[in-house]
Amino acid sequence: MSGHEQLDQAAAYALGALDAAERAAFEAHLVTCAECRAEVQAFRETAAQLVAGAGGATPSDDLRERVLAEARRVQPIRTARRFSAAWLAAAAGFVLALLLGSAWWRERGERRELATRVAEQDQLLTSLLAPDVSVANLAASGRPPSARLFWDAKRLRVVVAVFNLPPAAAGRTYQLWAIAKGQAPVSVGTFNTSADGTVRTVFPAPPGVAFDLTAVTEEPAGGSPQPTQNPFLVGPLGLRSE
Amino acid sequence: MTEDSLLVQRMANGDERALGELYDRHGRVMYTLAYAIVGERADAEEVVVDTFGQAWRGAAQFDPGRGSVGAWLSTIARTRSLDLVRARGRRARVLERAAVFVNDDTAPPNPADRGVERNEASSAVRRGLVALPTAQRQAIELAYFGGLSQSEIAAKLGEPLGTIKTRIRDGMKKLRELFTKEGVR
Repeated sequence: MSGHEQLDQAAAYALGALDAAERAAFEAHLVTCAECRAEVQAFRETAAQLVAGAGGATPSDDLRERVLAEARRVQPIRTARRFSAAWLAAAAGFVLALLLGSAWWRERGERRELATRVAEQDQLLTSLLAPDVSVANLAASGRPPSARLFWDAKRLRVVVAVFNLPPAAAGRTYQLWAIAKGQAPVSVGTFNTSADGTVRTVFPAPPGVAFDLTAVTEEPAGGSPQPTQNPFLVGPLGLRSE
Repeated sequence: MTEDSLLVQRMANGDERALGELYDRHGRVMYTLAYAIVGERADAEEVVVDTFGQAWRGAAQFDPGRGSVGAWLSTIARTRSLDLVRARGRRARVLERAAVFVNDDTAPPNPADRGVERNEASSAVRRGLVALPTAQRQAIELAYFGGLSQSEIAAKLGEPLGTIKTRIRDGMKKLRELFTKEGVR
């Protein structure tokens, strides 16, 4: 196999093993080099066979149905009749912010991360726009911070948006709790805000969780099994799901 | 056009049955790939659901001139698996497992590995992998299942970068020739 030195990188590229700088240079070269493109394609097929060396594994019987159910879920977003104009405007602002965020990621050329972010944002939007989602506004006594929580009981997701909360100190984290009447708080997850004091995040709901109240505490990094301090943000859940 | 690409074409037209058939043909392999990377059943199944979801949404963009459906699905499943591992901060653990995996000539210990029928093609591939010098196979598997770049592999194994590059290139060439000869594709 004669030719140019880039040709030697095709196998590593197809395996995803080039370093970021090498990858960028090689991708630039690929645009103009049909020989390297063919080489990459052939090595991708080789790479796809490697799984045979990993032994066989058998998924659950219901996985096929889950795959099909997921496909059925992908359909045009229906009109959210139960949402007021103000809500729709807020949602539109959110979508715009997400789109701008996506554009930024794309410019970074990090397609893989973009795909992940879009998937997360898909989830986030689905939960925000679902008609049967419960909402809690978490307020502090006095001034900000504040937070808004969306509890999507159908898809078992909790979406949280926090505002005006300075990032937790080193070695500390914020922790979100679900509290049902007469029961111990259940941790939903930990988070930290960015430098501008905001964060938006989606948590998978803990199994079997039910809650009337939601609260945020500051805890040691990694979170605590139970709150170690009084929550500084608390809110009741409204608009209960069916 | 292959049977697989016909299925993808039908999916692009919204035919759900075609998605089911595609799953029947590739679901187990994608699950095996995801499981090899993420190491947990629930996560591997989530990857499979996401992979076929992405294939369903992206069916219209699939170009059979640029590779097989299997390679397309594998690329999606591998990427999503590595994303999940990184998102969960489990990279160190996965690498540990990848290291065990490559030091062993047999398949990784896998409780789910029961009652699996291997077809002719995959046993040919296994023969090819076993025939490969261990060092080459190790570098290739760390890249593919561990998501490591060549310099990360070099650092991990304490070998010069040039050595790792050579192992990956030579190993992949050997596998490619072998798979072609065995008619794997």
